[in-house]
Amino acid sequence: MTFFGKESLPAMPITQQAVKTLSAQLYDWSLRRVPDDTKDALRRARATETHEGAQRVLEIMLGSALRAEQTDRFVCSDAGVPVFRVTLGANARWEGDLKAAITEGFAELVARIQPPLLKHVTNPLTNERGYQGKDMPLVTWEVESGVDWIEIACQPKALGSGRWAQAETFSFPSLADIEAYVMKAVMQAGSQHCPPVIIGVGIGGSFDVAAKIASKATYRAIGTVNPEPVLAAMEERLLRAVNATGFGPMGTGGDTTALAVHVDYSAGHGYTPVAVCFNCWINRRTRARIHADGTVERME
Amino acid sequence: MNEYRRIRMPMTREDARSLRAGDMILLDGEITITAGLPTHHRILACAEEGRDPPIDIRNGSLLHLGSYSQDTADGGLEVLYMNPTTSTRFNPIMPRLIRHFGLTAVGGKGGLDAGCRQAMAEVGCVYLSFLGGGAPLHSGAITGVKAVAWNDLVAHYRLVRLSVQGLGPVTVGIDAHGNSLFETLSAQAQDRMPEILAQLDRDRSG
Repeated sequence: MTFFGKESLPAMPITQQAVKTLSAQLYDWSLRRVPDDTKDALRRARATETHEGAQRVLEIMLGSALRAEQTDRFVCSDAGVPVFRVTLGANARWEGDLKAAITEGFAELVARIQPPLLKHVTNPLTNERGYQGKDMPLVTWEVESGVDWIEIACQPKALGSGRWAQAETFSFPSLADIEAYVMKAVMQAGSQHCPPVIIGVGIGGSFDVAAKIASKATYRAIGTVNPEPVLAAMEERLLRAVNATGFGPMGTGGDTTALAVHVDYSAGHGYTPVAVCFNCWINRRTRARIHADGTVERME
Repeated sequence: MNEYRRIRMPMTREDARSLRAGDMILLDGEITITAGLPTHHRILACAEEGRDPPIDIRNGSLLHLGSYSQDTADGGLEVLYMNPTTSTRFNPIMPRLIRHFGLTAVGGKGGLDAGCRQAMAEVGCVYLSFLGGGAPLHSGAITGVKAVAWNDLVAHYRLVRLSVQGLGPVTVGIDAHGNSLFETLSAQAQDRMPEILAQLDRDRSG
């Protein structure tokens, strides 16, 4: 963890400027670095892969991640669209318009970032692409009790893995039904989502909540154990099942189709939506907190 | 890297036919790239109306790679970065383009479907699978920008001809003999699925 930037005195509200600056930085940082947990998982996969071509592809992936860090370049040319989840501490104090802060931060980043971004923000009604659009950046707002910081996490999403996300609503499904559905989604994505992927699964709640849970699950660090024993066991067996398919790195064959399966749930009614989403192998993800005294703590 | 066979681009028909699905190779020479669906529609219109596209792709390559191209101060062109895009988006168009232009190499990531594989076998063309998230490596292999066409499109949709050295390694995902890793792996996973689901049941009850 690193601390930097005393930006205000203790007991001052967190500023719109601080949120603007940090949200833009988090997006920029996410494009140039594969997270450490993901590189470690790729190294472990390379050590255990039995498919020779897959070993090579994993080696080339690690080489690409390293080169991006050394040269401060984008890992992927598709910067995706900026996606944030902002957690507001219930005791946090802030001033200004935090929503506008994130929109302005992205606009300013687009104007200055080097190398420049390609135009990926798409109007779904016309398929025209640019740097701005309705509700862009995409932000999920959450509130956490008992804390006074604001946490911002960034996870750019692009078509490559984004298009394979899906949800279906069941009535009183068994765990077997849910797991079979996850495998159906894995089969549909096949070779195409830049595997090995991180899979997020959301069970229950309502339609929108299940998707939100699935997406949030992909933010969890690889190697962390689900605190819910039923889900910890499900994650383990689903990971084995996904890797038994044989699609492999970049979908050209191998034992490593997923690096992790992360599952979470919410209570709901007897109708149970199940959502499944994927992050490609570069698993772009950054996160930082702005504390009440103005210090910024970068978590990843 | 020395272990990989190097292939000169544009790929000759003979080289294309000499490759087998699963081979990993490095590319030297000239490639033509685009990541745009509108671009494919324009190339298709050229084929249907008997016109030549602004960059000649006959007996050459058309790779699904997106790039950031821009003019340089001295009147030249540069590409700042490049990476593959999902090829299956172009499934309905590719068979016509492969046959009409006699392409020897197509590529991108994620593969193409059976209709494309069949056209490739008829013509003598391979599909090359590039590393997604490989922009630092792919971009470093670019030695020059030969031409950029259709500048009215966003940068990654433009048709771009590049010279490259040591681009890859790329995996031959579909060869010119009717073998597709993507179709084989998908069928294999489908075959394995009853046992995979049975194993999930055993794990759940165990």
